This record gives sequence, structure tokens and C-alpha cells, in this order.
Amino acid sequence: MLGPTGTLLERYLDLLAARQRVTASNIANADTPGYRAREIDFRAEMQSLLYQAVPGAPYLPITVRQSWAEGAKNDGNNVHLDREMKALSENVLRFSVASLLLQRQIRGLRNAIQEGRGG
Amino acid sequence: MSLFSAWEVSATGLAAQRMRVELLVQNLANSETTRTPEGGAYRRRDAIFHSEPLPASFRTLLEGRLGEPLVGVTVAEITVDESDPERRYLPGHPDADGEGYVGFPRVNPVEDMVDLTAAVRSYQANLSAMSAVKELLQRSMDLLR
Repeated sequence: MLGPTGTLLERYLDLLAARQRVTASNIANADTPGYRAREIDFRAEMQSLLYQAVPGAPYLPITVRQSWAEGAKNDGNNVHLDREMKALSENVLRFSVASLLLQRQIRGLRNAIQEGRGG
Repeated sequence: MSLFSAWEVSATGLAAQRMRVELLVQNLANSETTRTPEGGAYRRRDAIFHSEPLPASFRTLLEGRLGEPLVGVTVAEITVDESDPERRYLPGHPDADGEGYVGFPRVNPVEDMVDLTAAVRSYQANLSAMSAVKELLQRSMDLLR
């Protein structure tokens, strides 16, 4: 009902939620020996998202890959807390903007319905 | 999987770090303890962390979407230091052996204080992750307004 933009925003929010889960895992395991950080290739996922923006398009699962970043500790753990915190705050900002846009879309639709009712 | 599972992951992080802090504080408090219920000097304890996948929710199983690994952290075991106690020459001490030496715990307060600071920072990071998830959930709720 919200058209391609609405679908795109919805999937975008999904992607951000997935990244949030990955970041939460990484932060929780920041001190676990041998844990390898996980990450989402944001650019690649965004591109595949644009192809999925047609309403009713199949939902492609988001791929999570292992990070090959150099670890700062010698226990095999390669979580960089500063990088994760940056992802965290970036995620919140992106999510706020996207949900605000979606909110506007829904409001526009609601206005259209109300105008139709009034006339 | 919803955002709530991210919350659960952070909660496991908080629990594990709290456990670590508790053990460190116990080590610090007992850094001079020469008598314990097990006998002898106190032996330091350390938490060993282990990453563990969260139990998959019914919905993820239903949708067959298990590709996204979501791992929390647990304390796999608590190691007890088995090294010999540090021997100090204190002949007047009631716990001194025949040669006048007393066994003291092998606890380095400086090391533990540094570890404590790191544990507190990790705890804070998990808390920040939690409040970020809360923010996302609130933004989602704003869509209903």
C-alpha cells in the first residue's frame, strides 16, 4: 500500500535491525577468547535491497560474514570495541531517519484517507 | 528474529561481565587471606568466557532462517589457581609453618585492578548496546503514532 519507497524503507529497517543484532553479539563477546567478530557488508546489502524494492519481491536473507580484521589481543579475539560503538550509534541515527520517513509516508496515506472521507 | 533477541545478547554480556567483576572483587578482598574453609591460603578464581548461540526462537525455526548467527556469552567455567602460595617469612604468625613461613595468595592487586577497569568498560559497552536497541524499539513504536 505504501509503494516501492515504503517497501524499501521497511527492508532498510530490517537490515539495520540485523546489524544491531550482529553488533550486540560482538560487544557481548568482546572478551571471549577466540571469538571472531561478525559483520554485514552494508554496501552490498544496500545494493541487493534496491533490487528488492519492488512490492512482493522475494525476501533475500542478509548474509553475515566473519571479520578478518587484525585482533588487538593475542587470544584470537578481533572485536574492536570502538568500531562496534561507532556502528551502534550510526545504526540508531540511520534507524531514526528511516523510521521518520516511513512515519511521514504513513501519515500521508492517512491524510489521503481522511480527505476522502471528508469529501 | 526481532530486536528483542539483540537485547538478550547484551543481557548475557552484562551477566558474564558482572560475574567477572564479582570474582575480581573477591580476589582483591582476599589478597591477604591465609585461612580458608578448604584450608591454606586463598586461591584466586577467574571466569573463562565462552560464546554460545542463543536458543533459536520458534519463529526463526518456522521460517527456516537460521543463517544469521546470534551469539551470546556465558561463563564456561571458573578456574581456581592451583599454583603454590607465595611464601613469606613471618615467624610470629599463627599460620606459619615449622620454618616460620606463611603461605599467601598469589593475587596481584594491580593486575586485578586493571582487569576490573576493563570489565567495567565492557559492562558499560553492553549497557550502551541495550539502550541503543531500546531507542530502535521506541522509533519503531513511533510509527504507530
